[in-house]
Amino acid sequence: MASITIEIDGNIVNAKAGERLITITDREGISVPRFCYHKKLSVSTSCRMCLVDIEGVTKPQTACSTPVSDGMKIHTQNEKAKASQKAVMEFLLINHPLDCPICDQGGECELQDVAVEYGSDVSRFSEGKRVVAPSDIGPLIQTDMTRCIHCTRCVRFGSEIAGIMEMGGTGRGEDLKIEPFLAEGITSELSGNMIDVCPVGALTSKPFRYELRSWQMASADSVARHDLVGSNLYAQTYKGLVKRVVSGDNELVNETWISDRDRFSYEGLAHENRLLLPQIKVEGQWKEVEWNVALDFAIKGLNKNALNSRKAHKLGGLASSTATTEEFYLMQKMLREIGCENIDYRLNVNNLDDPIHLDSNIKLSDLECVDNVLVIGANLRLEQPMINLRLRKAQLAGASVSALNVKAFDYNHKTNHSTVSPNEIATILAGALKVILEKNSLEAPSYITNINPSELSINLADKLLDSERSVIVLGEHVINNTQAASIAQMVAEIAKQVNGKTLNLTSSANTLGAQYAHFLPKSKGMNTNEMLAADMSAFLLLDIYPEYDFHHSNSAVEALSKDDVFVVSLNSFNNELVAQYSDVLLPMAAMYETSGSHVNINHDMQSFAAAVKAPEEAKPAWKILKVIADLLELPGFHYENVTQVSEELKHQKIYEHKQDITIDLGKKSSAIETIWMHSAYHSDALLRHAKSLSSSKIGQTNSASMNTATAKELSLECGNTYLGVPVVVSDTVADRCVFVSSNQSTDMGRES
Amino acid sequence: MIISDSAKKQIDIWIEKYPQGKQSSAVMEALKLVQAENDNQLTSEAIQAVADYLDMPGIAAAEVATFYENYNHKPVGKHIIRFCHNISCMLNGADDLITHLETKLGVKTGEVTKDGLISVKKVECLGACVGAPMFQIDDQYYEHLTADKIDDIVDGLK
Repeated sequence: MASITIEIDGNIVNAKAGERLITITDREGISVPRFCYHKKLSVSTSCRMCLVDIEGVTKPQTACSTPVSDGMKIHTQNEKAKASQKAVMEFLLINHPLDCPICDQGGECELQDVAVEYGSDVSRFSEGKRVVAPSDIGPLIQTDMTRCIHCTRCVRFGSEIAGIMEMGGTGRGEDLKIEPFLAEGITSELSGNMIDVCPVGALTSKPFRYELRSWQMASADSVARHDLVGSNLYAQTYKGLVKRVVSGDNELVNETWISDRDRFSYEGLAHENRLLLPQIKVEGQWKEVEWNVALDFAIKGLNKNALNSRKAHKLGGLASSTATTEEFYLMQKMLREIGCENIDYRLNVNNLDDPIHLDSNIKLSDLECVDNVLVIGANLRLEQPMINLRLRKAQLAGASVSALNVKAFDYNHKTNHSTVSPNEIATILAGALKVILEKNSLEAPSYITNINPSELSINLADKLLDSERSVIVLGEHVINNTQAASIAQMVAEIAKQVNGKTLNLTSSANTLGAQYAHFLPKSKGMNTNEMLAADMSAFLLLDIYPEYDFHHSNSAVEALSKDDVFVVSLNSFNNELVAQYSDVLLPMAAMYETSGSHVNINHDMQSFAAAVKAPEEAKPAWKILKVIADLLELPGFHYENVTQVSEELKHQKIYEHKQDITIDLGKKSSAIETIWMHSAYHSDALLRHAKSLSSSKIGQTNSASMNTATAKELSLECGNTYLGVPVVVSDTVADRCVFVSSNQSTDMGRES
Repeated sequence: MIISDSAKKQIDIWIEKYPQGKQSSAVMEALKLVQAENDNQLTSEAIQAVADYLDMPGIAAAEVATFYENYNHKPVGKHIIRFCHNISCMLNGADDLITHLETKLGVKTGEVTKDGLISVKKVECLGACVGAPMFQIDDQYYEHLTADKIDDIVDGLK
C-alpha cells in the first residue's frame, strides 16, 4: 500500500492508503470512542460512536469503516465530531438501564467510561425502556441482555474467531435481542472471550458474579499451564485469592484470546479437597503435623526404605506434566544427586520402550500462514484450542486441512476427515511416503517397498507435494498407538521430503519443560511403566492422581499401595486414593500460587510469578524439594528464589532419549482399538476441581463412541457402559474402534 | 421429517440460483417453503432443519426468520390479515380501521380468532401507499379500505 500523509486534528500523520482511520488514530494515540470496533474482529459499524468530521464530507463519518486517502483532513475533536458523538451516546443510553451499582461491569465498563465524557447528566427520554428477559446460556457466562447495546462483538467473535456462531441478533428494531438460538446455550471452548469483548455488562463472568469490583483486585501477569501454548493472562486477586482470570495480549502466543479452561480453571484453587496441612501416616492413621515433623518423617522413610541401604535404584520419582520447569529441574537434580535415575513424567503412555520423537519446528504465529495441514490423531478444538484457532485462520485463508482420526470430530473449519482405525495410520503414511519418494525420484526404504499406496495415501501425498508450506500435526491420540514411534518417524520423513514443518502435540501442558529439565530416565534409569512393574521400595510423587493420570492406573495404584513401599506425595489436592497409598502428604502450591516457568511449543520459556500465596500451610513445590534436598544434605541447593533455579537450567539443552527405530508395519493388534482421552476439562487436577468448567457441556462429556458394527460385536448398545463409560453409537467412528472421552477416573482401566 | 422431499427439491432450485458455496442465500425461500408445509408456522426445529439443509448456523437462520414479518413463530389462522399501519395508511385512518377489525373479529392484533380462521397482524409499509389504507390477506392486497368494505371482505373469508 502506498504511503500517504493525512491530517488529524491539525497534525500531519503518515499512513497507508486504504487503512481504516481508527487503526491510525489508535496507533497515534488519538482517542476516538467506540463500542463495536475491535481490532481482531470484522468492522460492523453498528454503534456509530466513532463518528469524526472529515473536511469536504458533509456528514460525519465512522472512523472504524472509513479508509483514508492522501491529503484527507480529519477532525476528531471539533464541535461537529463531538456533537455527533454526544448524539450517538444519547441514543445508546436510551435503553440502557441505570443499574451500574449492581452491574458487575461497573468500573471496567466501556459504556460507563465513554458516558462520563460524552453522556448528558439528564436523559431526555421519558418513555419506557426496553427490557429483555434473562436467559441461562450456561455455567460460564452470565447474561443481562437489557444492558446490551447491540454492538455484535460477541456475535462476530463466535462466527469469526471461535468458528461456531452461537450468538445472534434475533428480532428487529426495538425487539432486537442478542441471544443464542437453542436452549443448550453457549458451548464453545473459547466462549469466555465473549465476556472480554463485551463493552458493557451484558455478558459477564458467571463464577465471578457479584464478587468484587475491578479496582479492588490486584492483577498479576501469569501463564496458563493447561496446554502447549502457555497463554498469557492476568490473574486478578483479592486478599490472597484468585478471583478472576482475564486474557493477556501476546501476538506470538495467544494473540488476545484464551481458552475457557485457562480462564476458569482458577476455581479449582478454592476447592474443598485442597490439601492444606502436612500429614503423616502413623500406624495407618493420618495425623496433621508441623512441616518439620512431616519432612523429618519423609526423610526418615526415604532413608530407611531407599537411601541408607544403598537402594536408591529402588526409589522412583514421578511428576505430573503440569509441574513448572523449575519443579521438574529440582526434583530430578535431587534424585540424581542421591543416585536415583528412575525419573519420569510420562504417565499415560502404554509403551515407553519406543517413545515418539518428533520436533515441533513451526512458530505458533506461522501456523496461520500454512497452505496445507495434515492432522493425525487429534481433536484439536478441545485438546489444543489455541493451536486450532491458528489453523482455522489458515484454513479460512485457503489452506487445505486433512485429518486422519478415529472419529470425524466436530472441527470448526472445513476439514477433509478420513476416519481410520489407529491400526491403519502407519500404513497410510507409509503409502504417502512411498508416493512422495517416487515423485522425488528417491529410493524407498525396505519397509515400504511392499506397500501399495491406497487412494487416501496418494491423495494426501499429492496435497503435500502440491503445497509450499505444509505442516503435519501429530496429536495426542497417537501416543498409545502400537506403531506410534514409526508413525512419528514417517511424519518427520514426509515433512522433510516436502519441505514441510511438523508439530508434535502428543503430550501437553509443560512436557517440554520436563524435557528441558531432563526429567526423564537416562542410562540405567527406569521409566514409569518399568517402575510400576519393578519391586520398588519408595516413591517421590509430584501432584499425581493415579486414577486419572496413569495409562496403567490399576497397576499404578497396586504398585504404590504395596505395604513395604514408602510414598512421599507432594499434592495440591487430597483424595481417598492418594491418602490410601501415601505415607506423607506434603501440601503444595497449585497454579497461580507458585513462581516458575512454562515451556511452550515454540520453546519459549515463559516465566511467571506467584499471583497469590498458597493457602494455609501449602508451599511452592520448588521450596519443598529444596528443603528435602537440604535435609538430605545434598550439595548445590542453595537457592534463595526460583529465579536462581531458572538461571541454572536456562542453558540446558532439551533432553531426548533418541534411539533408532525399526519401522515395522506388520506390528498391528487385532483387538478392538480403544483411544482413551480425558475430556478437555478433566486433563489435570486443577481443571477437575474447577466446578463451573465441570458443569459446562464440554466438562459433562462422558462417552465411549463406537459405530453400529463395533457395538454389535461388543454386544453393547446405548445405555450400556464400556470400561465404565456410557456408550454412544455413532457411525462417525472408524470400524472396530472405540473413542472414549471421559470425565471420570479410569478405575476400570483404559483398555478392553 | 420437517422438510419434505418436494420442499427440498424446490429449495434446491433456489440454491442453484446462487454461486456455489453461497447456498445459505436461499434461506428466505427455504424458510417460506418449510413454513408452508408446517401449518404456516416455523418452530425452532424447523428453523434448525432449514439451517442444517443449507449448511449454516441455526442462529443465522433464526436471525432471518425473526427479522421478517412473514414468518410466523406462533400458531396462526388459515388466513392472515396484514394490516399496514405505516404513515400513509395511518394518515388515512388505518388505526381506527384496525380497531374496527379487532372489534369485529373479537381478537387483538397478533391473535387468532377462536375458530382458527383469521389472524390479524399489524405490519409496516407494504408499498401500496397509493391505495391507503390497505391490508393484505394471504397473497392478495385490498386497498382504499373502509369499515364497510372490511366487513364485506372479512365476511367472505372461508
